[in-house]
Amino acid sequence: MATESSESEEEGKIRGGNDKLIIEDDLREMSKNAAWSVSSCKPGNGVTTLRDDNLETYWQSDGLQPHLINIQFQKKVKLQLVVLYVDFKLDESYTPSKISIRAGDGFHNLKEIKSVELVKPTGWVCLSLSGTDPRETFVNTFMLQIAILSNHLNGRDTHIRQIKVYGPRPNPIPRQPFQFTSMEFLTYSTLR
Amino acid sequence: MENLLANCVEKNLSQFMFTNAIFFCERLLAEFPSEVNLQLLARCYLSNSQAYSAYYILKGSKTPQSRYLFAFSCFKLDLLGEAETALLPSEDNVDEVPGGAAGHYLLGLVYRYAGRKNSSIEQFRMALSFDPLCWEAYRELCSLGAAEEASTVFGNVAFQRLQETFVTQRINFSEGANINQLTDSDKASRDTSLWRTEHVPGENQQDLKIRQLGADIPPDTDRQLNTNGWDLNTPSPVISQVLDAPPPLLHKNMLRSAVEGSLMSVHGGRRIKFSEEMSAEATEGSGRRRSARIAARKKIPMSQSFGKDSYRLHLSPSESNCVPSLSSMIEKCRIQSSKEATTSGQSISDIGSSVDDEENKNPSESSPDSSSLISGISEVLNLLRILGDGHRHLLMYNCQEALLVYQKLSLKQYNTHWVLVQVGKAYFELQDYFNADSTFTLAHQKYPYALEGMDTYSTVLYHLKEEMRLGYLAQELISVDRLSPESWCAVGNCYSLRKDHDSALKMFKRAIQLNERFTYAHTLCGHEFAALEDFEGAERCYRRALSIDTRHYNAWYGLGMTYLHLEKFEFAEHQFQLALKINPRSSVIMCYYGIALHESKKNDEALNMMEKAKLTDAKNPLPKYYKANILASLGDYHKAQKVLEELKECAPQESSVHALLFNIYKQLKLYDKAVLHFGTALDLNPSPSDAVKIKAYMERLVIPDELAMEENL
Repeated sequence: MATESSESEEEGKIRGGNDKLIIEDDLREMSKNAAWSVSSCKPGNGVTTLRDDNLETYWQSDGLQPHLINIQFQKKVKLQLVVLYVDFKLDESYTPSKISIRAGDGFHNLKEIKSVELVKPTGWVCLSLSGTDPRETFVNTFMLQIAILSNHLNGRDTHIRQIKVYGPRPNPIPRQPFQFTSMEFLTYSTLR
Repeated sequence: MENLLANCVEKNLSQFMFTNAIFFCERLLAEFPSEVNLQLLARCYLSNSQAYSAYYILKGSKTPQSRYLFAFSCFKLDLLGEAETALLPSEDNVDEVPGGAAGHYLLGLVYRYAGRKNSSIEQFRMALSFDPLCWEAYRELCSLGAAEEASTVFGNVAFQRLQETFVTQRINFSEGANINQLTDSDKASRDTSLWRTEHVPGENQQDLKIRQLGADIPPDTDRQLNTNGWDLNTPSPVISQVLDAPPPLLHKNMLRSAVEGSLMSVHGGRRIKFSEEMSAEATEGSGRRRSARIAARKKIPMSQSFGKDSYRLHLSPSESNCVPSLSSMIEKCRIQSSKEATTSGQSISDIGSSVDDEENKNPSESSPDSSSLISGISEVLNLLRILGDGHRHLLMYNCQEALLVYQKLSLKQYNTHWVLVQVGKAYFELQDYFNADSTFTLAHQKYPYALEGMDTYSTVLYHLKEEMRLGYLAQELISVDRLSPESWCAVGNCYSLRKDHDSALKMFKRAIQLNERFTYAHTLCGHEFAALEDFEGAERCYRRALSIDTRHYNAWYGLGMTYLHLEKFEFAEHQFQLALKINPRSSVIMCYYGIALHESKKNDEALNMMEKAKLTDAKNPLPKYYKANILASLGDYHKAQKVLEELKECAPQESSVHALLFNIYKQLKLYDKAVLHFGTALDLNPSPSDAVKIKAYMERLVIPDELAMEENL
């Protein structure tokens, strides 16, 4: 899992956030092969700002709650972690508070898989998609939807500065059931 | 004035003052426009890396020399068609390729870059027949896969060729000296100045070629001018003094010019032959080796040998006491040329006469001369035979043979950068990364400035997962030369090891920018694209690598892997087959070929391939694993289990082996063993997705167990 400091989860509440984003080696960003869309946006603060690696730019919604961010993949992918950058100090009433993450095959059968409440977050907030069962480390899905149900201080619209989605690395050797772990096997497993 | 200017230009060229040389050459050309002066200006431009200027001024020239220079400029500017037309014989021109061996080599390169493989092979072979010391032509033939045995190429025919060229050279030497006496001193010095060879260590080999100008000039001879700007005004009696000046620079020049020195024309020009002899020694080595020999040489008191041994040429490194003759000979040539560089024709005549005297003085010396000549040539050819053999074996991927051949070298020669890199590459191709590591480390420590082969070294470190050392190497290489593609390849490998594939890709692209024809950089780019799962990009990169060098089997392998990922199994099979054709000893490729066959449902062939892989490289544990996998998927659990049990002995720490055993025992309904292996598999730190898989399998296992228990109850 990603390292998180000053996190206290009491019934799904997350306080604070990290300044630096540190992700484990066995995860990789999945969002490049995805189609991103949002339920509404203010001109100039559109969906591209969520993926531009720039923490100064943000997406601002412009409609009724809940605000939705949809991430659609071309095939079923395994996802493990969703990371948001939000900042209460900068955005105050625009900072999201209650977030629901849903997954499914498409808009018609999304099911909520995670629900959290952020309390004055300042930085990167990691939302793990794993269940308690070790078999449920990943969510295997076509689509992910991040729904902002409410904001701090009852704001109507919301700001999110960056979103990243992580999943496990694929096996570098194609068509093999398991990945190799020992040096002897790894040395002979590929040419370069 | 013409003379003065010409000498000035020559001197500037020899001392690397290129802009000065260009300036004066322009004045010279303006005052005395002539073909010769034009060629001199072209040389100045080429030395100053202004191939475009040389191209423009030489356009349309007809003399062979100009054509060669023009072709060279075209080559530098990547105008391959024009280069070819310039080099090919036509009716109104001489009916052979200008520049002799050098011309053929250049033409071979042109054809190679244009993708005309057979023509290029032909040209390289011709270059070698003209001049057996044209080592680069042999290298190119090896990399095209069309090299003949080193013993034939550097054998008796070569021996005779070298002998006769050297003998004619010697004869010309004396005649030439006479001629010099007779001709107008001004003109003589002017003309000879044109044929001076410069040695610019910094520039690449092809630039140097240009300086070894073949002679189809009438009588005048080529000289070797030491870049060590000698005081050129001393009259002849001071010869002995001059001799004592250290020849290391000569040899350093030779070192660079070496590969090129051999490119000098074989017709005409006595001194060319000397340089060939010298370059023969330098040809396959680094400066260190030569300096050892030079040091040996220098010890011999030159003064006494000069008079008598002038024509004796002992080239054997071991017989240091016989060495002076060659160097003294070279000195004399140099002095000759330097004398002629001065405007005094008098010195020429002096030297000419002194040479004559030498000749006359030593009629009895002729037989020792020829015997020493013979032994010299045979020494050189022996060395070339070994190196050529080794190199050819390496590029045919007969790595064991290559290693054996290289062992035959003397310790001095073995410890040179080129040979060490070759040995390292041989180990690398055998997947013996530890030995490769030690060899490359040695090479890098001894020669931190030599970057050739360091990209392979970085790959070795990548395989060994030595992050720190790789990072350190990358830093060192960048600090040595920021503009060399090898350094950027090392940096890219460093990032790739840290799984930062985007940055790695950027670095490899930089390497490509620096040298479009650096095949390995393209392949590495392809690997990075594949790691980022951008298979289109990967394919593009691999194909580009293959368009540069069809025999780069890594790229074929990469393509095969890409197709495996994309599940295009027939395509994958085809690529792996091609890769195997080039490198038939690679067990890794055989394994993947087997996997592709299995996926295409050709299971028997797949199993055979795994057997073959096992036999090829006994140290590789993977063929057994893949074989077990195939057997398991075919339902043959007992055999699979047997194979895996064996494998477990060899590689007890491998989680995937235990995971597979767990599955097999589950199928065989041997639940205790299955559970045992389940536990071990999880203990051995599999990747998270694997851990999930294994646990999922376990769940399915537990339920039948519970059912059984309930029944018993």
